Amino acid sequence: MALATASGPSNATAPTFGVAGTRRWILPVAAFGLLAIVAIAVNPNVPSWMDIGLQKWVRDRYMWTVQNSNTSWIFTSVFNPLSDAINWMVESVQWILRTLRWPGVLALFAAIGWMTAGIRAAVSGGLAMAAIAVLDVWEPAMVTLSIMVTAVSIALVIGIPLGIWTSRSDRAERVLRGFLDTAQVMPAFVYLIPVTIFFGIKYPPAVIATVIYAVPPAVRLTSLGLRSVPTVMNEVGESFGCTSWQQLLKVQLPMARSTILLGLNQVIMMAFGIVVIASLLGADDLGNLVLKGLQKNDVGAAFVPGLGIVLLAVALDRISTGERSTPTRPPLIKLPTVDRRTGTLIALGTVVVAAAIAKLADVTAIPDALTVDISGTINDAVGWVQDNLRKGVPVIGGTQAINDFLVTDVLEPLRKFLVWLPWLLVVVVVAGIAYLSKGWRLAVGCSACLLLIGTMGDIPGGADGRTHLWDLSMDTLSQVLVAIVISVAIALPLGVWAGRSDRAQQVMRPFLDTAQVMPQFVYLIPVLFLFGVGRGAGVVASVIYAIPPCIRLTGLGLREVPYTPREAAISFGATERQELVKVQLPLAFRSIMLGINQTILMVLATVIIAALVGAGALGLVAYEGFTKPIQKIGQSAAAGLSIVFLAIVLDRITQAWGTSPDQQRRS
Amino acid sequence: MKTHRRSVKLLAASLALTGLLVACGSDDEETTDPGTEAPAATEAPGATEAPAEGGETPTSGEGIVLAVNPWTGSAVNANVAKVVLESLGTPVELLDIDENATWVGMDDGSIDAVLEVWPSGHAADYETYITGKQSVVDLGLLGPSAKIGWYVPTFVVEEHPELATWEGFQDPELAKLFSTAESGDDLGQFLMGDPSYVTFDEQIIANLELPLKYVVAGSEAGLITSIQQSIDEKTPLLLQFWQPHWLQSKVELTEVKLPEVTEECLASAAAGDGGYACDYAVDELYKAASAGLEAKNATAFKVLKNLQLTTDQQNEIAAMIDSDGMAPAEAAAAWVAANADVVAAWSA
Repeated sequence: MALATASGPSNATAPTFGVAGTRRWILPVAAFGLLAIVAIAVNPNVPSWMDIGLQKWVRDRYMWTVQNSNTSWIFTSVFNPLSDAINWMVESVQWILRTLRWPGVLALFAAIGWMTAGIRAAVSGGLAMAAIAVLDVWEPAMVTLSIMVTAVSIALVIGIPLGIWTSRSDRAERVLRGFLDTAQVMPAFVYLIPVTIFFGIKYPPAVIATVIYAVPPAVRLTSLGLRSVPTVMNEVGESFGCTSWQQLLKVQLPMARSTILLGLNQVIMMAFGIVVIASLLGADDLGNLVLKGLQKNDVGAAFVPGLGIVLLAVALDRISTGERSTPTRPPLIKLPTVDRRTGTLIALGTVVVAAAIAKLADVTAIPDALTVDISGTINDAVGWVQDNLRKGVPVIGGTQAINDFLVTDVLEPLRKFLVWLPWLLVVVVVAGIAYLSKGWRLAVGCSACLLLIGTMGDIPGGADGRTHLWDLSMDTLSQVLVAIVISVAIALPLGVWAGRSDRAQQVMRPFLDTAQVMPQFVYLIPVLFLFGVGRGAGVVASVIYAIPPCIRLTGLGLREVPYTPREAAISFGATERQELVKVQLPLAFRSIMLGINQTILMVLATVIIAALVGAGALGLVAYEGFTKPIQKIGQSAAAGLSIVFLAIVLDRITQAWGTSPDQQRRS
Repeated sequence: MKTHRRSVKLLAASLALTGLLVACGSDDEETTDPGTEAPAATEAPGATEAPAEGGETPTSGEGIVLAVNPWTGSAVNANVAKVVLESLGTPVELLDIDENATWVGMDDGSIDAVLEVWPSGHAADYETYITGKQSVVDLGLLGPSAKIGWYVPTFVVEEHPELATWEGFQDPELAKLFSTAESGDDLGQFLMGDPSYVTFDEQIIANLELPLKYVVAGSEAGLITSIQQSIDEKTPLLLQFWQPHWLQSKVELTEVKLPEVTEECLASAAAGDGGYACDYAVDELYKAASAGLEAKNATAFKVLKNLQLTTDQQNEIAAMIDSDGMAPAEAAAAWVAANADVVAAWSA
């Protein structure tokens, strides 16, 4: 809530104070007060008549699918051909990559990078691929690449038209938004087995799971880009007699290019986030190697393919979106400038020549002399960390002490408190916060989301035969809130630092890329070792994953503050600190809030990973749908949807904090 | 704008050209690709004939897919079967895949067989796919049996001999030795692993009235890390674990004695009435195949049906992989070469 009041200064125009203001508050305060009293008076637990039978419905649909998967027309003439087509695409990409051989693929990455973003992108893309070769994970990396290229292409083919549509219709945007939120936050483990029944094993379900996860940013950022094209430009287009299509293709899309490219970047990052989970279904890719390392409890063996995944994501990101920051230094070597056409020819010529030479010289595998095995070094490093950070650290005592404090003094009291609260009171309080943040509509929407959690029934199991889904949701909420607070507390200072120092930004960037893309399965073991099985480890795993977007967007926000107001402040004698606190931070407020909002979604997206290290709650129930689908698919869907509803509530409220008061009034 | 578009066209054209160029060059390579599986087969000991390429492929030559689930025993069985089947002319693809997805794969025929199923975790799959839909068939027992149970690191029993049986845990003072931040100070922690395992632990704790708190680690990694930490730091740990597992040969664990398995206890498990209060029953590992396998490749079906390993044999090969660091394929080939008589009986 402290964050909401932070918007106070920019809120000065709103008539919050004074007599008229007071009267405006009487009605809402009375209404919420009354509701709260009612909430306390009625049943403290979710009444069983609210159960709408969702779990049984899901399970019945699932069993129907299992029974008819080889006979119904929907499989034989829709899903099976679709699955074959996806498989064909993946294998075709693999064939091209195999045919180019590794020198050709290296040259291809460098060439594409050069054409889209210049020499820096060419070098970083090429180097990242070369590093994959050196790590000796080339073959599985090519399988991963083929799955990713297919999935990202499909995600763009679906996402960009949907983005165009939602940019032109508010109703479409409202309808689609819920689906996009669900796709992004619903844990993949809930639908992985059903997807396997629909699409078979190996590549097709991996592609589909990745597409589900990667479409939302494509839609959102396309729409955002198109909506932020200035009206003037559209009017200019109209006055020149552009048709609607011409307007879109010649004015809007080109002007929205940079935002759409940012969308591509996010699509790639999201897609890579699911690589390991998708390998559970039989793909022989990098994710499979990560799982094999995990199976042997060998962190080094899991880290190497994990690093391969990071490098692949970085390479794709750099060559597809270019370096988004303009170089601050003049280039070291001044290359002769060539026009685009010659450039393209040179680039492609290089690829052809590299592939041809590789073919003639019969280069197939990477020469052993060029590869290094870093898994031993990693294991040594991890061993050192485990031996030295767990106990006996001066002042803080070590990670075990941190874990014990977090669980005993923070998480458990908070969970107990939230579970103890009458459930309707939670709904009313959240609705009140939503009302203060934006207004009646948000309050109604948020309470609806929470009430829906109440309609999904209890979870069988537990000591007394059943566990209240609501209590599990409060357990998850307590963990998520703590993870969010810790993430923001770490990310904000780092983001401010990155926003004010180029060097800090450069140093942080590879770490942020790694934290965002490195499969969490790789660091589960060290996290488990340091913090022990339980909610502490779960919070830590979420924090590592959730801080990069907040750091990035805070840094970006500070950098985008125009220089004029800062200069004005300095000329009035403001110290550096005053200039930061009074000028830069308020002006970067929206971007920072967007960062916090992204952090919240990331934390909720890792609820399921937290369950894999002992955090239990909704994540564990959702995961059980994957481990025992026939018995538990229904409750898994209920838990997954509860995670989605919690995410929507937290997302909408924090988004409201990020919009300025003028926009609030308009909406 | 214009030049940009042209360059895109150029890009597409030249990419296609590159593809063509390299494709023409690599035609020969592509055709030999399937053949590379044949030499692999002839390398296998006892191989007498490579599969005939093209034209009239013998029925025994149709390739099959075997699932490898994420534990060593599964890799052992599948690799042994691969060596044997390839020596008989059936190319075998091994697919690393999750055990639940395996059943879906066998159902639609994209996986032909899996050679090690732990019955306790797959009763519902058995009922749905084997008994009900009959898209999967039971191939009989593999041979080894497995046992889930309650375990403590051996040093715990050395210090507190009464903890060798469940009665020891009735003492709240002893149970508190196992407390963690998650269990709170008053109860001891009982750790369960991956939720895909069969578990009656919550019921056992409740019905035997033990002062323990049931905590789900969520993953096997969580269990293994906890065991290693417990042994390193000499902090007591109580958990659900099982035999065979590669860790059992590396660290000292002792199984806690639970009440004997009785008929009522098993009946309670079947009824799901929450009254389970005894030890876990022994798991007899079995094999399963896709219903289409017999028609697709009768030889492979027969061999897989006959294939059996004793616990000792499976452990021997598993040790080559886990302790000596051999690749599963190498270990299987070496064992098959040394046990030709055992293997010959499967195809007889």
